[in-house]
Amino acid sequence: MSAYMPKSILLFLEELGRTMQFAGLVFRTGVANKVPMHLVFEQIWKVFVQSLSTTALAGFFVGGIMTVQFTLQVKQFGALGYLGGLSTSGTFREVGPLLIAFMLSGKVGAYTSAELGTMKVTEQIDAIRCLGANPILELILPRFIGIIVASFFLLFVGLMMSVGGGLLMGIIFSGIQVEEYLRHIPTIVSIPSIFGGLFKCLVFSILIALVCTYMGYSTTGGAKGVGRAVVKTAMITMVGIVLSDWATSMIFDSILTLVMEA
Amino acid sequence: MVLGWANSVGEFFYLAAKSLQFAFTPPVRFKDIIKQTEFVAVQSAPIVVFCVCFAAVVVVIEASFHMRIVIQNDSLVPGFASLLILRELGVVVACLLVTSRVGAGLAAEVSSMQITEQVDALRLLGIHPIKFLVVPRLIACVVGCVLLTVIANIVCLYGAMLVTQHKMGFGPANFLSAMKAFVSFQDLVFAMIKGAVFGAIIPIVSCFFGFRCKAGAEGVGTATTNAVVTASVLIIFADFILSFLFSSLY
Repeated sequence: MSAYMPKSILLFLEELGRTMQFAGLVFRTGVANKVPMHLVFEQIWKVFVQSLSTTALAGFFVGGIMTVQFTLQVKQFGALGYLGGLSTSGTFREVGPLLIAFMLSGKVGAYTSAELGTMKVTEQIDAIRCLGANPILELILPRFIGIIVASFFLLFVGLMMSVGGGLLMGIIFSGIQVEEYLRHIPTIVSIPSIFGGLFKCLVFSILIALVCTYMGYSTTGGAKGVGRAVVKTAMITMVGIVLSDWATSMIFDSILTLVMEA
Repeated sequence: MVLGWANSVGEFFYLAAKSLQFAFTPPVRFKDIIKQTEFVAVQSAPIVVFCVCFAAVVVVIEASFHMRIVIQNDSLVPGFASLLILRELGVVVACLLVTSRVGAGLAAEVSSMQITEQVDALRLLGIHPIKFLVVPRLIACVVGCVLLTVIANIVCLYGAMLVTQHKMGFGPANFLSAMKAFVSFQDLVFAMIKGAVFGAIIPIVSCFFGFRCKAGAEGVGTATTNAVVTASVLIIFADFILSFLFSSLY
């Protein structure tokens, strides 16, 4: 079998398998032991504060971009009343989670893998093991949970900022009233849409947490190796985010079709 | 703190202005530029193509969801999807992917040169580091991003065409005529201008953080992270400004 496959595919599958084993190890460690909560809270706080300004800024401008683009589209049909609802719904369902995930993968993902990678190549992780502590429990698990929980808070902040940015551009650029902009938000943004956005955010954050901790933990080869691990993390998370975005959209679409037919 | 911040902003604009100036002064280093363009455009192309295929599917699904709410049918999906792809999605997705791949690589490269004192060595030899390091990468990134924008737009439109045919039964002829009604050639030109601007942002930000890198393995990691995040935020900001400017030209 393996004679017919290119080597790169085999390497990819091998790496995928190792990542899954690593995920299993982290999960088992979390279930079997008492999770050190103070470390988890420290990580949540760190991730949140680190990325707050970036996420808020990006969210604001994305709201603005969505409003400008939707204005150009709906103006041709004289449907400016729907503008607020459409651009908010588009941001909540799709663009918001995607963008927050991109920001997180650049900021938190790269930072965490660089941090863990440096610890690995300077043998600090081995030192922790020598002291009788479990590095998975002390280092990996808090970062894992921290990234997932903090990304929810960041998503919330980013989405609120995007509504603000969209509203501002709606007033300045499209020249519609505040009430007119806000009126259709509740009619178009439905509860399933919000849950869809939250679910997407959950999937993306698990992906980021897994890839960056695995890449950092398996770094070899000195300072150059750390650089390689960081670049690889950024790349893999980006591609993974786009892929899982597609997968979750497909799943939600088919569920929606089933519900509508039933 | 404010002074330090103002200082770094000044340094950034100095770097940007200097590299733009050197980019237009004669000795053009073709060999370096070609090599860097290969790294930026050719090596990123498979990933960009792969990602925009999936982005096309998502765009069509989302457009159809919103159309069903507002006008109760799917008839305008091809037009809106092609509009969204050409005006925003193709160029932004392609350039964000290039940022995370090329930007991180450049920042890591330049900052390791900085902490191993290779940049100082260049200066000692009488070679301007901006001229030697930044300018070839700048030209390569601008060219590469424009090329990747065109490729990404074409692939994404093909993907959307396939999906609309498969999911909603619009044939290619339907899709193309809807596209013709909604977008024109100038949209592609605007997308290419956006691509060029984003392509200029990436290497300047990466080299800026690379040159400021502090010694040690941690410095390289920090420089890389900062470069990718700042470049992504600046790209979104520039996208906002450019969309606003272009919207008065449609």
